[in-house]
Amino acid sequence: MNLTPKKPSTALLPLTLTWLALCLLTVFSLGLGKWFHGANWLPLLVALIVWVKGMMIAHYFIEAELTHAFIRRVLKVFIAFAPLWLILTGFFGGQFAQWALSFLRG
Amino acid sequence: MAAELALEPRIETETGGRIPGNKGMWVGITCEFVEFAVLFVVYFVARANFPDAFQQGADKLSRESGTIITLLMVTSSFFIACSVNSMRAGLRRQSIYWLVAGLIVALGYPVAKYLEITWNLAHGINGESGIFFTVYYYLTFNHLVHATWGILGILWVLVRHLFGGYSAEDYHGLEALASYWHATDIIWLIIFPMFYVLA
Repeated sequence: MNLTPKKPSTALLPLTLTWLALCLLTVFSLGLGKWFHGANWLPLLVALIVWVKGMMIAHYFIEAELTHAFIRRVLKVFIAFAPLWLILTGFFGGQFAQWALSFLRG
Repeated sequence: MAAELALEPRIETETGGRIPGNKGMWVGITCEFVEFAVLFVVYFVARANFPDAFQQGADKLSRESGTIITLLMVTSSFFIACSVNSMRAGLRRQSIYWLVAGLIVALGYPVAKYLEITWNLAHGINGESGIFFTVYYYLTFNHLVHATWGILGILWVLVRHLFGGYSAEDYHGLEALASYWHATDIIWLIIFPMFYVLA
């Protein structure tokens, strides 16, 4: 069993591959908006792509797995926050609007 | 020298795990995340209440501008990550080159945003064009403000780097800047589909 703690990376190849994947996902998600305009499941796929892209930056650029638990949690919660809302409003938008209105009216 | 080392922030914490850069930067990043989380809630409440305005709004924006800004953010983030990794490897000159490349690409963001707003105004899109555009302007402008701080930060770190402010043993300032820029990149990657993809 290797007990040596992982060290911050000095390699450029994983960063390059991550950058390429992020560029491809960006172009792909743009295509999704055009090809599947108005499709019911589009928010789900877009939410998944947003989450994957965010996690890639956290994992490979920030090296979140080496960071303090608080930083890891902050990154995980924030990256999951918007995709969850995308799914909620995508599938339960009407109900959500009613709840928001009743909340604002007290 | 010993006194300087004693003053250096410890990057390994007692509970395990690193703090990339320094604690102050991560307090700032957490505040930035909270701020944008609140703004995102406003977006989703508006989207739930005015679904038609949000369905039609994205078609009126320049998707090319949104895509270019996304690619600029992702690429500058990549260059700055390369700058950090090069510095860790002791390659100071390479690290400076990567940072300069990151700065040049990052400067493309305000230029692209200026061109996008010019295009918007030429097509009659302003802050009073409807709920979708009001939310679009306040969220994207807010992000531009945060990115501008980041660009100023890159400039400051570059000047320090050029004067030998960082080494393979001490690159906390460079890594703090990189963490802020990556966080700002993550926020843009969330904003991009909200306005340019989901129609």
